[in-house]
Amino acid sequence: MMPASDKFFHHCLDVFLVVTLIVVVIPLWSTITQSFRPNTFIGSNLEGMFLPPWKWSTAAYHALLGNNGFLLAFTNSLKILIFGVATSLLLTIPMAYCLSIKTLPGRKLLTIFVLLPYLFNVGLIPSYLVISGIGLTNHLAAIFLPSAISTYNCLIMRGFFEGIPEELKESARIDGAPEWYVLVRIILPLSKPIILTIGLYYGVSFWNDFLHAMLYLNENSLQPLPILLRNILIASGMNEFVEVNAFGDAPISAIKAASVFMSAIPMIIAYPFIQKYFTKGTLLGSVKG
Amino acid sequence: MTEMLKKLVVLITLAFSLIVPVFANGTQDTGKGKKLDPNAPVTIELWYGAAATEAGPPPADWGALKIIKDKFNINLKLTALPSAENDQDVKINAAGAGNALPDLFMVRRPVWQKLVQQGLIANVDDMYPQMPNRCKTHYTEDSITFTTINGKSYGLASPGAIAKNEGVLIRKDWLDKLGLKEPVTTEDYMNVMKAFTEKDPDGDGKADTYGYGAFIETNNYEEGLGRRMDPFFGAYGVAGTWNMTKANAGLNVLNPAYFDALSYVKQMVDNNVIDPNWLSYKKDDFRAAWKQGKFGIMREQNAAYAAAANYKPFDENFPNGSWIIANPPKGPDGKSAVGAFTTGYRIYAVSAKAAQAGKKAKIAQLLEWMSSDEGYYLLGWGVKDVNYKLDAKGVPTTKGLADPSKAFTAPEMIPLTQLKNMVYYNGAVEIAARYPAYTTAKSGKIMDPGDVLLMMQTKPWTNVIGSDTLPNPNADLKRFYEQGVLEFLTGKRQLTKDNWNAWIAEFKKVGGEQWNADGIKYAKDNNLLK
Repeated sequence: MMPASDKFFHHCLDVFLVVTLIVVVIPLWSTITQSFRPNTFIGSNLEGMFLPPWKWSTAAYHALLGNNGFLLAFTNSLKILIFGVATSLLLTIPMAYCLSIKTLPGRKLLTIFVLLPYLFNVGLIPSYLVISGIGLTNHLAAIFLPSAISTYNCLIMRGFFEGIPEELKESARIDGAPEWYVLVRIILPLSKPIILTIGLYYGVSFWNDFLHAMLYLNENSLQPLPILLRNILIASGMNEFVEVNAFGDAPISAIKAASVFMSAIPMIIAYPFIQKYFTKGTLLGSVKG
Repeated sequence: MTEMLKKLVVLITLAFSLIVPVFANGTQDTGKGKKLDPNAPVTIELWYGAAATEAGPPPADWGALKIIKDKFNINLKLTALPSAENDQDVKINAAGAGNALPDLFMVRRPVWQKLVQQGLIANVDDMYPQMPNRCKTHYTEDSITFTTINGKSYGLASPGAIAKNEGVLIRKDWLDKLGLKEPVTTEDYMNVMKAFTEKDPDGDGKADTYGYGAFIETNNYEEGLGRRMDPFFGAYGVAGTWNMTKANAGLNVLNPAYFDALSYVKQMVDNNVIDPNWLSYKKDDFRAAWKQGKFGIMREQNAAYAAAANYKPFDENFPNGSWIIANPPKGPDGKSAVGAFTTGYRIYAVSAKAAQAGKKAKIAQLLEWMSSDEGYYLLGWGVKDVNYKLDAKGVPTTKGLADPSKAFTAPEMIPLTQLKNMVYYNGAVEIAARYPAYTTAKSGKIMDPGDVLLMMQTKPWTNVIGSDTLPNPNADLKRFYEQGVLEFLTGKRQLTKDNWNAWIAEFKKVGGEQWNADGIKYAKDNNLLK
């Protein structure tokens, strides 16, 4: 029998979670319904949220999917996501593993060097000078290569690796296994939670990166989704030639909502698969700091 | 000993990593005195302000690129600047800091001024004689003055948006249904707004209409509540941020009449005659709202109201609905104005790097070609007989095209005319072509956005030319100004004379007085006062 105080606490928790759910779901539902709103709809945004589905219009989605610019931007974002996550994990995992080896000579010094850029940000101009100086302008790699190793993610991963029993590594080393073998055959198979979690962190960061794309990708054919979304979202504000609508007859508010929703689809699809590893990965990584 | 050795190694490494950067010597891009090989193709990198950024750039096989290559041996590399002005500034500032500015680029005046001070932008005085045709249409004396600093011109300023292209619009069918005449004075306007709110002008039995619709749209010369509410401020002689007359130069907010204008708008809010969403609307929400019949009076841009694509939803929703372009309300002193107008220029700057590389002559050739008949029509409308035809008056039209889907107005063809901002100069051909008359699909009405524009330009306006170049307030002052005005309207602060005077005193203290003084001085020094 649960004590009364525990019951009360659980009820309060239920209420809090329901309120949080409502706060999260309402804007999401508003965006979804706005993306399906027909041009002929008359009413407030609130009334629009309760419009029956048989009155919805897919004009905005037709306009977006029929727009070559949108598909190209989506493809560019996917490329950045895939190559970016792969590169980041390929670089972060060995670095985190090295830092987790307690007997590594100069480990403390190396950790300080890793922490320094995290504490002191050089700012935009020096970054721009370095990235353009090494010729990354107009390359998709400019989005993910400079930030391929995140100090925060690296330290979380290091903490996770430190939590793996030392005996496992020692037994392999005693049998003559080199360090890379220990990493690949022993550590990585046990590290699925942290790899997926950190991969998700990197993925979200690269998918949403607007600033680097705006600064370094001058070729319009390379521009990813955040740039196009930004242009769409302020389209009716900046376009003085308002006699033409780049997306035909679809209402601009529906276009905006549809583009926001479509750009979130990859993350919405990926997250449920990674969710079960998410809490475990972050928690275990953060415990052993 | 080993411990000491370890510490020594660490200290030496740290010292080395600190000292070495001091001696680092970056490479210098001298680029000086380079002469172009007359036979080699010249690459010109152009960052342009797109006509519709969201529509995408011109295709790689765009005909204009081939013509430019064949005629002038120029490889033109195009990059569309971001839509948002802040993003444009960040991109250009970053490129400037990295000495990586493109050869020719559009730039906003505040950023342009800083780049000139840093020596990153070339003097273009020697380019004007090389562009005689372009100078006739684009580079007038005013525009050259706009980009002159210390007697030298550092930018090529083309005409910007069409001026006085907005007006006060009133639902004619609502006036007729309620037996009302077109309002003249502010009192008339209030009565009509009340009637539109309370007397069900759309006859649907619901209390779902309002007198006036607006949204907050401000810029540096239309501060406070912005341009959508300016017809009411114009009625009190305080439209826009600045008064640019010699007699009363200064910030309009410091004018006692501003309180009267604000009181009028407060009455609108208190009488509930303004669409309550006006404080949260963005531009497209506002435009969707009038097409949905939310309100009966508004200030709107001619093309946003009357162009085919924009009027269509209203026509479908209300085939019997119509609007008239009304005179703005007359205040107690007989003053009226739709709002404040200025003539904006688009500045295209040539980077110092491009000048040092000897590219100015080629850039002048390119720009002169853009102003030739071939360039003007190609960049402005596309290919003749494919994207447009010329009517009897020589105006581009989409009538009679073999394939209507390739008309320059079709969404798919917009990328072909992304550079039209660089060739348009608000000439008669453009106005006629941009705003052709058409018959609405549902109601069969004849709509003529060109006539709408001409009518809007005949209404009274307040001349504030040059006020967009006056010093801007700092972020805190701007926030104080905008928030303060809204607080009076929403009732957070009571709008009484005493409260207003106290707020003005505070406004002056937080920098308003200095801003006012700086603005007046700048206007006087640059002969902007009339």
